[in-house]
Amino acid sequence: MAVRLSLASTWRAARPSKEMLPHTMTDPPPNRELIEMLALSRSQKLPQGGEDTQILELLVQRDREFQELMRVAQEQGKVHQEMQVLEKEVEKRDCDIQQLQKQLKEAEHILATAVYQAKEKLKSIDKARKGSISSEEIIKYAHRISASNAVCAPLNWVPGDPRRPYPTDLEMRSGMLGHMSNLPTNGVNGHLPGDALAAGRLPDVLTPQYPWQSSDVSVGMLPPHHGNDFGLEPPGHNKENEDDVEAMSTDSSSSSSDSD
Amino acid sequence: MATNQPKQGSENDDCSFLPLVHDVIKCMDKDSQDVHQELVKFKTRIQEAREQIGAMPGIDMSLSEQQQELETLREQVRTKNQLLQKYKSLCMFEVPKAS
Repeated sequence: MAVRLSLASTWRAARPSKEMLPHTMTDPPPNRELIEMLALSRSQKLPQGGEDTQILELLVQRDREFQELMRVAQEQGKVHQEMQVLEKEVEKRDCDIQQLQKQLKEAEHILATAVYQAKEKLKSIDKARKGSISSEEIIKYAHRISASNAVCAPLNWVPGDPRRPYPTDLEMRSGMLGHMSNLPTNGVNGHLPGDALAAGRLPDVLTPQYPWQSSDVSVGMLPPHHGNDFGLEPPGHNKENEDDVEAMSTDSSSSSSDSD
Repeated sequence: MATNQPKQGSENDDCSFLPLVHDVIKCMDKDSQDVHQELVKFKTRIQEAREQIGAMPGIDMSLSEQQQELETLREQVRTKNQLLQKYKSLCMFEVPKAS
Protein backbone atom coordinates (compact mmCIF):
# COMPACT_ATOMS: atom_id res chain seq x y z
CA MET A 1 0.00 0.00 0.00
CA ALA A 2 2.84 2.37 0.92
CA VAL A 3 4.68 1.53 -2.30
CA ARG A 4 1.50 2.01 -4.23
CA LEU A 5 1.02 5.40 -2.56
CA SER A 6 4.60 6.52 -3.26
CA LEU A 7 4.33 5.46 -6.90
CA ALA A 8 1.02 7.25 -7.19
CA SER A 9 2.46 10.45 -5.73
CA THR A 10 5.41 10.30 -8.16
CA TRP A 11 3.03 9.82 -11.03
CA ARG A 12 0.85 12.72 -9.83
CA ALA A 13 3.83 15.08 -9.54
CA ALA A 14 4.58 14.64 -13.21
CA ARG A 15 1.02 15.12 -14.38
CA PRO A 16 -0.67 18.46 -14.86
CA SER A 17 -3.00 19.48 -12.07
CA LYS A 18 -5.85 19.78 -14.54
CA GLU A 19 -5.71 16.03 -15.11
CA MET A 20 -5.22 15.04 -11.51
CA LEU A 21 -8.03 17.02 -9.89
CA PRO A 22 -10.92 15.28 -11.67
CA HIS A 23 -9.14 11.96 -11.16
CA THR A 24 -9.11 12.35 -7.37
CA MET A 25 -12.73 13.38 -7.39
CA THR A 26 -13.97 10.34 -9.24
CA ASP A 27 -11.72 7.54 -7.97
CA PRO A 28 -13.43 5.70 -6.43
CA PRO A 29 -16.65 6.93 -8.04
CA PRO A 30 -19.03 8.18 -5.32
CA ASN A 31 -22.11 6.41 -6.58
CA ARG A 32 -25.22 5.42 -4.70
CA GLU A 33 -24.26 1.76 -4.29
CA LEU A 34 -21.08 2.64 -2.45
CA ILE A 35 -22.85 4.92 -0.05
CA GLU A 36 -25.62 2.39 0.50
CA MET A 37 -23.05 -0.23 1.35
CA LEU A 38 -21.37 2.10 3.80
CA ALA A 39 -24.66 3.00 5.38
CA LEU A 40 -25.68 -0.64 5.60
CA SER A 41 -22.47 -1.71 7.17
CA ARG A 42 -22.73 1.10 9.63
CA SER A 43 -26.30 0.24 10.57
CA GLN A 44 -25.60 -3.45 10.84
CA LYS A 45 -22.45 -2.92 12.78
CA LEU A 46 -21.08 -6.12 11.40
CA PRO A 47 -17.42 -6.55 10.61
CA GLN A 48 -17.23 -7.39 6.94
CA GLY A 49 -13.60 -8.14 6.45
CA GLY A 50 -12.69 -4.49 6.90
CA GLU A 51 -13.76 -3.75 3.37
CA ASP A 52 -15.94 -0.85 4.39
CA THR A 53 -13.14 0.44 6.55
CA GLN A 54 -10.81 0.31 3.61
CA ILE A 55 -13.32 2.11 1.47
CA LEU A 56 -13.77 4.79 4.07
CA GLU A 57 -10.04 5.17 4.43
CA LEU A 58 -9.71 5.43 0.67
CA LEU A 59 -12.42 8.06 0.61
CA VAL A 60 -10.72 10.08 3.31
CA GLN A 61 -7.42 9.74 1.53
CA ARG A 62 -8.89 10.87 -1.76
CA ASP A 63 -10.47 13.85 -0.07
CA ARG A 64 -7.14 14.78 1.45
CA GLU A 65 -5.40 14.45 -1.89
CA PHE A 66 -8.05 16.54 -3.54
CA GLN A 67 -7.62 19.28 -0.99
CA GLU A 68 -3.86 19.16 -1.47
CA LEU A 69 -4.19 19.37 -5.22
CA MET A 70 -6.55 22.30 -4.94
CA ARG A 71 -4.01 24.09 -2.78
CA VAL A 72 -1.33 23.37 -5.38
CA ALA A 73 -3.66 24.60 -8.12
CA GLN A 74 -4.15 27.86 -6.28
CA GLU A 75 -0.40 28.29 -5.98
CA GLN A 76 -0.08 27.58 -9.66
CA GLY A 77 -2.66 30.27 -10.32
CA LYS A 78 -0.48 32.81 -8.50
CA VAL A 79 2.57 31.63 -10.42
CA HIS A 80 0.57 31.93 -13.63
CA GLN A 81 -0.22 35.56 -12.81
CA GLU A 82 3.45 36.26 -12.22
CA MET A 83 4.26 34.61 -15.53
CA GLN A 84 1.76 36.82 -17.31
CA VAL A 85 3.40 39.91 -15.83
CA LEU A 86 6.80 38.66 -16.95
CA GLU A 87 5.50 37.95 -20.45
CA LYS A 88 4.22 41.51 -20.71
CA GLU A 89 7.61 42.78 -19.62
CA VAL A 90 9.30 40.61 -22.22
CA GLU A 91 7.01 42.04 -24.90
CA LYS A 92 7.80 45.58 -23.79
CA ARG A 93 11.53 44.87 -23.89
CA ASP A 94 11.16 43.40 -27.36
CA CYS A 95 9.46 46.60 -28.54
CA ASP A 96 12.25 48.70 -27.04
CA ILE A 97 14.88 46.57 -28.72
CA GLN A 98 13.13 46.85 -32.06
CA GLN A 99 12.91 50.62 -31.68
CA LEU A 100 16.63 50.83 -30.92
CA GLN A 101 17.32 48.59 -33.87
CA LYS A 102 15.46 50.95 -36.21
CA GLN A 103 17.35 53.96 -34.88
CA LEU A 104 20.64 52.16 -35.26
CA LYS A 105 19.81 51.24 -38.83
CA GLU A 106 18.90 54.83 -39.62
CA ALA A 107 22.09 56.13 -38.06
CA GLU A 108 24.14 53.59 -39.97
CA HIS A 109 22.54 54.70 -43.23
CA ILE A 110 23.28 58.36 -42.50
CA LEU A 111 26.86 57.57 -41.54
CA ALA A 112 27.38 55.48 -44.66
CA THR A 113 26.11 58.34 -46.84
CA ALA A 114 28.33 60.85 -45.07
CA VAL A 115 31.39 58.63 -45.37
CA TYR A 116 30.72 58.04 -49.06
CA GLN A 117 30.36 61.76 -49.75
CA ALA A 118 33.50 62.52 -47.77
CA LYS A 119 35.44 59.93 -49.78
CA GLU A 120 34.19 61.43 -53.03
CA LYS A 121 35.27 64.86 -51.90
CA LEU A 122 38.69 63.58 -50.94
CA LYS A 123 39.03 62.03 -54.40
CA SER A 124 38.10 65.36 -55.98
CA ILE A 125 40.67 67.14 -53.81
CA ASP A 126 43.37 64.67 -54.84
CA LYS A 127 42.43 65.03 -58.48
CA ALA A 128 42.52 68.80 -58.23
CA ARG A 129 45.90 68.73 -56.52
CA LYS A 130 47.36 66.50 -59.24
CA GLY A 131 46.15 68.80 -62.00
CA SER A 132 46.89 72.05 -60.24
CA ILE A 133 47.44 75.09 -62.38
CA SER A 134 48.90 78.38 -61.37
CA SER A 135 46.27 81.01 -60.88
CA GLU A 136 48.43 83.48 -62.74
CA GLU A 137 48.29 81.36 -65.87
CA ILE A 138 44.55 81.00 -65.62
CA ILE A 139 44.16 84.74 -65.27
CA LYS A 140 46.45 85.33 -68.22
CA TYR A 141 44.40 82.97 -70.33
CA ALA A 142 41.21 84.62 -69.20
CA HIS A 143 42.63 87.96 -70.22
CA ARG A 144 43.53 86.69 -73.64
CA ILE A 145 40.02 85.39 -74.15
CA SER A 146 38.51 88.59 -72.85
CA ALA A 147 40.86 90.78 -74.85
CA SER A 148 39.36 89.53 -78.10
CA ASN A 149 36.01 90.96 -76.95
CA ALA A 150 34.46 87.54 -77.42
CA VAL A 151 32.71 87.57 -74.05
CA CYS A 152 31.77 91.19 -73.80
CA ALA A 153 31.38 94.06 -76.23
CA PRO A 154 34.04 96.76 -76.16
CA LEU A 155 33.22 99.69 -73.98
CA ASN A 156 33.02 102.03 -76.96
CA TRP A 157 30.90 99.67 -79.06
CA VAL A 158 27.75 101.22 -80.47
CA PRO A 159 25.13 99.79 -82.80
CA GLY A 160 26.49 100.10 -86.28
CA ASP A 161 29.98 99.21 -85.26
CA PRO A 162 31.19 96.55 -87.71
CA ARG A 163 33.11 94.78 -85.01
CA ARG A 164 31.74 91.40 -83.93
CA PRO A 165 32.71 88.87 -81.29
CA TYR A 166 33.51 86.40 -83.99
CA PRO A 167 35.86 86.73 -86.95
CA THR A 168 34.01 88.55 -89.63
CA ASP A 169 34.27 87.92 -93.31
CA LEU A 170 36.68 90.79 -93.80
CA GLU A 171 38.91 89.66 -90.99
CA MET A 172 39.07 86.11 -92.35
CA ARG A 173 40.00 87.41 -95.74
CA SER A 174 42.63 89.67 -94.25
CA GLY A 175 44.12 86.80 -92.30
CA MET A 176 46.57 84.10 -93.31
CA LEU A 177 43.99 81.78 -94.78
CA GLY A 178 42.58 84.56 -96.84
CA HIS A 179 46.04 85.37 -98.13
CA MET A 180 46.68 81.71 -98.91
CA SER A 181 43.54 81.45 -100.95
CA ASN A 182 44.56 84.48 -102.99
CA LEU A 183 47.90 83.16 -104.20
CA PRO A 184 48.93 84.48 -107.61
CA THR A 185 47.34 82.50 -110.44
CA ASN A 186 46.94 85.42 -112.83
CA GLY A 187 47.23 89.14 -112.67
CA VAL A 188 50.02 91.33 -111.36
CA ASN A 189 51.57 90.43 -108.05
CA GLY A 190 49.03 87.77 -107.70
CA HIS A 191 46.25 90.24 -107.30
CA LEU A 192 43.56 91.08 -109.70
CA PRO A 193 43.24 94.73 -110.30
CA GLY A 194 40.48 96.36 -108.30
CA ASP A 195 40.21 93.33 -106.19
CA ALA A 196 41.73 94.69 -103.09
CA LEU A 197 38.64 93.99 -101.04
CA ALA A 198 38.35 90.41 -102.23
CA ALA A 199 42.01 89.94 -101.55
CA GLY A 200 41.32 90.93 -98.09
CA ARG A 201 43.32 94.09 -98.15
CA LEU A 202 41.23 96.48 -96.25
CA PRO A 203 41.78 100.15 -96.24
CA ASP A 204 43.29 101.25 -92.99
CA VAL A 205 40.14 103.03 -91.99
CA LEU A 206 38.13 99.85 -92.03
CA THR A 207 40.83 97.73 -90.47
CA PRO A 208 39.59 96.75 -87.05
CA GLN A 209 41.99 97.56 -84.30
CA TYR A 210 42.51 94.71 -81.93
CA PRO A 211 45.06 94.40 -79.19
CA TRP A 212 46.66 91.39 -80.69
CA GLN A 213 46.81 92.76 -84.22
CA SER A 214 50.42 93.72 -84.59
CA SER A 215 53.42 92.11 -86.13
CA ASP A 216 52.34 88.76 -84.82
CA VAL A 217 49.20 88.44 -86.91
CA SER A 218 50.85 85.69 -88.91
CA VAL A 219 51.65 83.84 -85.78
CA GLY A 220 48.15 84.26 -84.50
CA MET A 221 46.97 83.94 -80.98
CA LEU A 222 45.55 80.52 -81.16
CA PRO A 223 44.17 79.09 -77.93
CA PRO A 224 46.48 76.70 -76.18
CA HIS A 225 46.20 73.05 -76.98
CA HIS A 226 44.74 70.59 -74.54
CA GLY A 227 47.30 69.07 -72.22
CA ASN A 228 49.69 71.93 -72.85
CA ASP A 229 50.05 74.53 -70.24
CA PHE A 230 48.82 77.99 -70.83
CA GLY A 231 52.15 79.50 -70.12
CA LEU A 232 53.60 78.83 -73.54
CA GLU A 233 54.29 82.16 -75.12
CA PRO A 234 54.34 82.23 -78.89
CA PRO A 235 57.63 83.50 -80.31
CA GLY A 236 57.75 87.15 -81.06
CA HIS A 237 55.01 87.94 -78.63
CA ASN A 238 54.49 91.59 -77.98
CA LYS A 239 56.19 92.41 -74.76
CA GLU A 240 53.95 95.39 -74.16
CA ASN A 241 50.91 93.21 -74.34
CA GLU A 242 52.51 90.72 -72.06
CA ASP A 243 53.24 93.41 -69.51
CA ASP A 244 49.70 94.65 -69.79
CA VAL A 245 48.36 91.18 -69.36
CA GLU A 246 50.59 90.51 -66.41
CA ALA A 247 49.71 93.80 -64.85
CA MET A 248 46.06 93.10 -65.43
CA SER A 249 46.35 89.57 -64.12
CA THR A 250 47.72 90.73 -60.82
CA ASP A 251 44.95 93.22 -60.47
CA SER A 252 41.83 91.32 -59.65
CA SER A 253 39.54 94.17 -60.58
CA SER A 254 40.86 94.60 -64.09
CA SER A 255 39.25 91.55 -65.62
CA SER A 256 37.00 92.37 -68.54
CA SER A 257 34.58 89.75 -67.45
CA ASP A 258 33.64 91.45 -64.23
CA SER A 259 31.56 94.11 -65.93
CA ASP A 260 28.23 93.36 -64.39
CA MET B 1 -4.93 40.01 -2.91
CA ALA B 2 -6.44 40.60 0.54
CA THR B 3 -9.91 40.04 -0.87
CA ASN B 4 -8.77 36.76 -2.38
CA GLN B 5 -7.60 35.25 0.92
CA PRO B 6 -11.02 34.79 2.57
CA LYS B 7 -12.23 33.40 -0.71
CA GLN B 8 -9.32 30.98 -0.73
CA GLY B 9 -10.19 29.97 2.85
CA SER B 10 -13.77 29.23 1.91
CA GLU B 11 -12.57 27.35 -1.15
CA ASN B 12 -10.42 25.15 1.07
CA ASP B 13 -13.40 24.36 3.26
CA ASP B 14 -15.53 23.69 0.23
CA CYS B 15 -12.93 21.41 -1.31
CA SER B 16 -13.75 18.60 1.08
CA PHE B 17 -16.55 16.28 0.03
CA LEU B 18 -16.60 14.36 3.32
CA PRO B 19 -19.26 16.49 5.00
CA LEU B 20 -21.56 15.87 2.06
CA VAL B 21 -20.87 12.11 2.17
CA HIS B 22 -21.55 12.17 5.88
CA ASP B 23 -24.88 13.91 5.31
CA VAL B 24 -25.87 11.33 2.76
CA ILE B 25 -25.00 8.46 5.07
CA LYS B 26 -26.88 10.09 7.94
CA CYS B 27 -29.95 10.42 5.80
CA MET B 28 -29.69 6.78 4.86
CA ASP B 29 -29.39 5.87 8.52
CA LYS B 30 -32.55 7.72 9.30
CA ASP B 31 -34.23 6.31 6.26
CA SER B 32 -35.46 9.77 5.47
CA GLN B 33 -36.74 10.91 2.13
CA ASP B 34 -33.95 13.46 1.82
CA VAL B 35 -31.45 10.90 0.61
CA HIS B 36 -32.13 11.68 -2.99
CA GLN B 37 -31.88 15.38 -2.28
CA GLU B 38 -28.58 14.94 -0.52
CA LEU B 39 -27.26 12.87 -3.39
CA VAL B 40 -28.30 15.53 -5.85
CA LYS B 41 -26.55 18.11 -3.70
CA PHE B 42 -23.45 15.93 -3.67
CA LYS B 43 -23.44 15.54 -7.43
CA THR B 44 -24.02 19.27 -7.91
CA ARG B 45 -21.06 20.01 -5.70
CA ILE B 46 -18.89 17.68 -7.74
CA GLN B 47 -20.06 19.35 -10.94
CA GLU B 48 -19.29 22.79 -9.53
CA ALA B 49 -15.86 21.61 -8.52
CA ARG B 50 -15.26 20.34 -12.05
CA GLU B 51 -16.29 23.69 -13.52
CA GLN B 52 -14.11 25.52 -11.03
CA ILE B 53 -11.15 23.36 -11.94
CA GLY B 54 -11.75 23.96 -15.66
CA ALA B 55 -11.66 27.73 -15.11
CA MET B 56 -8.52 27.76 -13.00
CA PRO B 57 -5.58 29.30 -14.86
CA GLY B 58 -2.11 27.90 -14.95
CA ILE B 59 -2.92 24.26 -14.25
CA ASP B 60 -2.24 23.10 -17.79
CA MET B 61 1.17 21.95 -16.67
CA SER B 62 2.66 20.41 -13.58
CA LEU B 63 4.18 22.55 -10.87
CA SER B 64 7.72 21.65 -11.87
CA GLU B 65 7.11 22.56 -15.51
CA GLN B 66 5.54 25.82 -14.46
CA GLN B 67 8.48 26.66 -12.24
CA GLN B 68 10.80 25.91 -15.12
CA GLU B 69 8.89 28.18 -17.45
CA LEU B 70 8.85 30.89 -14.81
CA GLU B 71 12.63 30.67 -14.52
CA THR B 72 12.95 30.83 -18.31
CA LEU B 73 10.82 33.98 -18.44
CA ARG B 74 12.81 35.59 -15.64
CA GLU B 75 16.03 34.80 -17.48
CA GLN B 76 14.61 36.31 -20.67
CA VAL B 77 13.66 39.52 -18.89
CA ARG B 78 17.11 39.69 -17.28
CA THR B 79 18.90 39.17 -20.61
CA LYS B 80 16.80 41.73 -22.44
CA ASN B 81 17.31 44.27 -19.68
CA GLN B 82 21.07 43.78 -19.95
CA LEU B 83 20.93 44.14 -23.72
CA LEU B 84 18.93 47.33 -23.51
CA GLN B 85 21.28 48.73 -20.90
CA LYS B 86 24.22 47.94 -23.14
CA TYR B 87 22.65 49.68 -26.14
CA LYS B 88 21.64 52.72 -24.15
CA SER B 89 25.12 53.14 -22.74
CA LEU B 90 26.62 53.19 -26.25
CA CYS B 91 27.74 56.51 -27.72
CA MET B 92 24.42 57.55 -29.16
CA PHE B 93 24.02 60.65 -31.22
CA GLU B 94 20.94 62.51 -32.27
CA VAL B 95 19.58 61.65 -35.65
CA PRO B 96 18.75 64.87 -37.48
CA LYS B 97 15.28 64.93 -38.93
CA ALA B 98 15.09 65.23 -42.70
CA SER B 99 14.05 68.76 -43.59
